[in-house]
Amino acid sequence: KLNVGVDAIQHGVEGLTYLLTESSKLMISEIDFQDSIHVLGFSDELNKLLLQLYLDNRKEIRSILAELAPKLPSYHSLEWRLDVQLASRSLRQQIKPAVTIKLHLNQNEEQTAQVLQTDPSTLLHLIQQLEQALGEMKTNHCRRIVRNMK
Amino acid sequence: ILDDPDLKDIDPTVLKHCHAAAATCILEAGKQKADISAISTCLEDCKLDKERIEQFCTEYQKNKDALEILLGSIGRSPLHITDVSWRLEYQIKSNQLHKTYQPSYLVTLNVENSGSGSHPDVSFSCTMEQLQDLVGKLKDAAKSLERATQM
Repeated sequence: KLNVGVDAIQHGVEGLTYLLTESSKLMISEIDFQDSIHVLGFSDELNKLLLQLYLDNRKEIRSILAELAPKLPSYHSLEWRLDVQLASRSLRQQIKPAVTIKLHLNQNEEQTAQVLQTDPSTLLHLIQQLEQALGEMKTNHCRRIVRNMK
Repeated sequence: ILDDPDLKDIDPTVLKHCHAAAATCILEAGKQKADISAISTCLEDCKLDKERIEQFCTEYQKNKDALEILLGSIGRSPLHITDVSWRLEYQIKSNQLHKTYQPSYLVTLNVENSGSGSHPDVSFSCTMEQLQDLVGKLKDAAKSLERATQM
């Protein structure tokens, strides 16, 4: 339809892909983008089109690239249940409270679920530790780093 | 027991029988959470004299709690969480993507198997929002626990 050779089209697509992914990866500004493609000697109209293409697709390209980074299983959700063990084969007349947890994780597109259990005092300990973790982002130290690393 | 110098004059088979009998009696008493009077009655039926019954009961009473804890810990259960460690990091870039600037948490749950001891810990990463969700749910569970104990 375009009346151009297959090779030319392939090169065109590859070039365009490279241009967009590299620009998105480095998150370059509009001005830098314009300067970079200026050397290619295209018409002004084409340059404007390319810039628009970059800005429109930048976010999506970046989120796809983010998937490629090495990662660990990530948290998906958590279900919990309260149980009280009343007896077992080796001991009758018990009152043993426990919290049963189903932890849903995502790993490489697959969802896994793991069943875990804990006792009330450990549960409180977990909550305390993780609340401390959450509080860290609000400390001056972290705030300073976030501010200075933009 | 077989090496105890005080017992070397007794036939080892008899010794084994005695040991097994005593152990069975103790374990059954522990399992059923029997009280002292029940144990005494049982021993009386076995024709033990008063002094021996008293000695047995005193020793039993001393170790009762430890025995119950031990019996209670036998049995299967899901992996038990014993502790948690966390790490907060601030991602700057990867080879695929620069200027990411995102905080991320790495949480490790230390778990124990009821019988065989160690098991690889459960680790996962999460964002701040996800960690808030996780902690929120755990707090719900804790509140439920508190309400249940007040009933």
